[in-house]
Amino acid sequence: MKILHAVIAVSVMALASMMYSLTASPPEKDGPVAAPAAEEFIIRDARIFDGEKVLPRASVHVRDGLIVAVGVDIPVSKDIEVIEGAGRTLLPGLIDAHVHTWGDARRDALRFGVTTELDMFSAHQQLAAAKLERTSLAATDQADSWSAGTLATAPGGHGTQYGMDIPTVSAPEQASAWVAARKAEGSDYIKIVREDLHVYTGKQDMPTLDDATAAALVRAAHDQGLRAVVHASAQASARQVLRDGADGLVHVFQDAPADDDFIALARERKTFVVATLSVIAGFAGERQTLSDDTRLVAFLSQGQKQTLQSRMAVGHANPALIANARESVRRLHAAGVTLLAGTDAPNPNTAHGVSLHQELEELVRAGLSPQESLAAATSIPAKVFSLQDRGRIGVGLRADLLLVEGDPTVDITATRAIAGIWKNGHRVDRSLAADKATMTLRKGIVGDFDAETLDSTGKSGWLATTDKMMGGASTVELSRIANGADGSAGALRISGEIAGGAVWPWAGAMYSPGATAMAPVDAGTATELVLHARGDGREYSVMLFSGAQARSMPAMLVIHPTAQWSEFRLKLDDFPGADKTMLRAVGFTAGAPAGPFQVDIDAVEIR
Amino acid sequence: MSTTHPLLATMGRPSMLRIYLVEAGYELLRLLRTPAFAAPTLAFPLVFYVMFAIVLPGQWGGFQKATYLLATYGVFGIIGPSLFGFGVGLAMERQQGWLELKRVSPMPTGAYFFAKIVMSLTFALAVLLLLSIAAIGFGGVHISVGTWLLLVATLLLGTLPFCALGLWIGTLVKGQAAVAVVNLIYLPMSVLSGLWMPLFVFPAVVQKLAVIWPSWHLAQMALGVIGQVEHVRYGLHAGVLLAMTALFLSLAALRLRSN
Repeated sequence: MKILHAVIAVSVMALASMMYSLTASPPEKDGPVAAPAAEEFIIRDARIFDGEKVLPRASVHVRDGLIVAVGVDIPVSKDIEVIEGAGRTLLPGLIDAHVHTWGDARRDALRFGVTTELDMFSAHQQLAAAKLERTSLAATDQADSWSAGTLATAPGGHGTQYGMDIPTVSAPEQASAWVAARKAEGSDYIKIVREDLHVYTGKQDMPTLDDATAAALVRAAHDQGLRAVVHASAQASARQVLRDGADGLVHVFQDAPADDDFIALARERKTFVVATLSVIAGFAGERQTLSDDTRLVAFLSQGQKQTLQSRMAVGHANPALIANARESVRRLHAAGVTLLAGTDAPNPNTAHGVSLHQELEELVRAGLSPQESLAAATSIPAKVFSLQDRGRIGVGLRADLLLVEGDPTVDITATRAIAGIWKNGHRVDRSLAADKATMTLRKGIVGDFDAETLDSTGKSGWLATTDKMMGGASTVELSRIANGADGSAGALRISGEIAGGAVWPWAGAMYSPGATAMAPVDAGTATELVLHARGDGREYSVMLFSGAQARSMPAMLVIHPTAQWSEFRLKLDDFPGADKTMLRAVGFTAGAPAGPFQVDIDAVEIR
Repeated sequence: MSTTHPLLATMGRPSMLRIYLVEAGYELLRLLRTPAFAAPTLAFPLVFYVMFAIVLPGQWGGFQKATYLLATYGVFGIIGPSLFGFGVGLAMERQQGWLELKRVSPMPTGAYFFAKIVMSLTFALAVLLLLSIAAIGFGGVHISVGTWLLLVATLLLGTLPFCALGLWIGTLVKGQAAVAVVNLIYLPMSVLSGLWMPLFVFPAVVQKLAVIWPSWHLAQMALGVIGQVEHVRYGLHAGVLLAMTALFLSLAALRLRSN
């Protein structure tokens, strides 16, 4: 009996100490560890559409950003991450052959498996960076891009209405110098606009390049080693530019279905046509259904939702436009003319990335097989635009990959069921950065100021903030002082001067609990902000920055610290409009009236 | 000087090996004839595994779902026969007076426990074979023979603390009540230690508390063996399981003596 009691006592004590050491030290503390960084991985036993043909069951081995093996039996060594491909289809990263990129465009694209975008007019200032990025194999959260840069249009013509400074072309003699200037800016090809809006409004509402100038631009582009692509909404102007040697059309025209004469010309000249049925459907009054698709909607940013829902302002919605365009695509495809998938995102009814999935479906409805449609968004644009390192799944190519559930070579809409996206061999995080916090708030003291120094960029995370960022002139200085509240070793002194004149003057200190300033953390279970403060009798604002937008207005409560240290307990729920699930920063600031201020805070705690 | 009873002398000495084997054989037969035990023990882990790992689509970051769940449902699978065989078996036999009968028979006590252990291991092995067939045959799980053998060995040795726990429960309650008690422990423990679905879907407090469940420790070892969790501290986990075994056995022994 005695020995049994002893065994029980010893094992209980042993258990307590072992469990404590398992919970107290790092490895298993937060559950399973994350997967290793994917420098090397194998996607095993997937159906593979390699850009041209289907391999029913094969594996792809990726190392350091490149595809190093494709085959049925690839040996799997133990330390390589393996992604199961059974029941899934692996595609080359998609290429959208008609977009306009700015802001988050290329991020939005990548979240939907579009790893390369061919821009058909945007600010040329971004071209140099884009060129560097597309040669790199570094991890990135953006699709790569090739771009026309500035487009060629007549004075007052299409392209000049967006508020950018566009050098226009008004005579054939200017063509050569104009193309040389684009080449110097970094344009990868030349985009020429033939658009007077008559297809949409019934009359010539906009000046456009004449035949001779357009022809001179095509010649100049070819002379300087660049492709010339053309925007033409009417068959007559499309026919003319084909005769003048244009390499491709960036839309299918919409005034009439392609006639036999045009088709014969396109075949003879080997011209390619970017269909852009998604955007034309919008002109014609159709509504995209992408934003209702549960497989997609969770990954749409506000910006994407907005452009998907927006409508064309020019002309009235004319269903004949899309009917003509679809019939043209059907006839061109039947005749063997090269078709490319492109969306014209972010024009009305489209959005970057996501709309290419609709375009693929449009192409299938116009008579392409699902495989031909996928090729129009992978190997064919790569070939047409000489993108050497992408568009197919093959050894030595860039590991831009899209893994989807199901079989899009049978049901094209399966491309929407995305299981994984890799860019340059790195897995793409599809989450919307601004829409969710990836870290959870570590509750407790966020500032005790007991250490000797105040390291505002280090782990203390306390930074000065003033209205200077909004054009004000207030000043603030943060310093650590000895002897804090309740006999603690130190406190934070916030002193400065509020300058008059600003609409909303402020100066003070702020603390970001996240990994970087203003990065959101989830403070869902915290209830209270507690701090000790003493001040000069002024009113101070306690601010909570939160929510999806980093720069939105903070929620505020007011405190009146006196000359004596006192404790303030502020319920987080009392901050009007604060979103605890996305807490970005806590601030302590002085505001109006103008004049000097000084406040000390200590033992700041989020509970 | 002791002499053998003349009758026994004519029969020869009983074979110890035979007693152990016969007892184990009949224990197995008894359970096979108790479909209420055998069917759910074998089928539940398999059905859950097929459903969560193979049928339901989904992806968990860098984890391989089918492989991950093979380890955790393996743990789930081996706990069943250990807890039910020992716990419920002992409780029933105590209620029916069968245990008293066996204790007064000349059968060595060891044979009784040996039979129960053999039964637990046999059922555990059967569950693991079924799971492995599903995982490798239909779930696309690739593991080497060596890794598989190591996993099976880990899990079979891992039945020890659960046999001990079952034994203790069997000494605490009688008859059908043991079924309820075992289920009250078995199912919540399995869920809360991440055997049905990974722990990272649970709140942080559940993840922290998992350390108290023996099944979590065994699952960590199994996941480490199969390569789904890195930096597993096998020594500590094994230590916890051994200490738990010692604790439960001692508690059971105390109960049996005080009875």
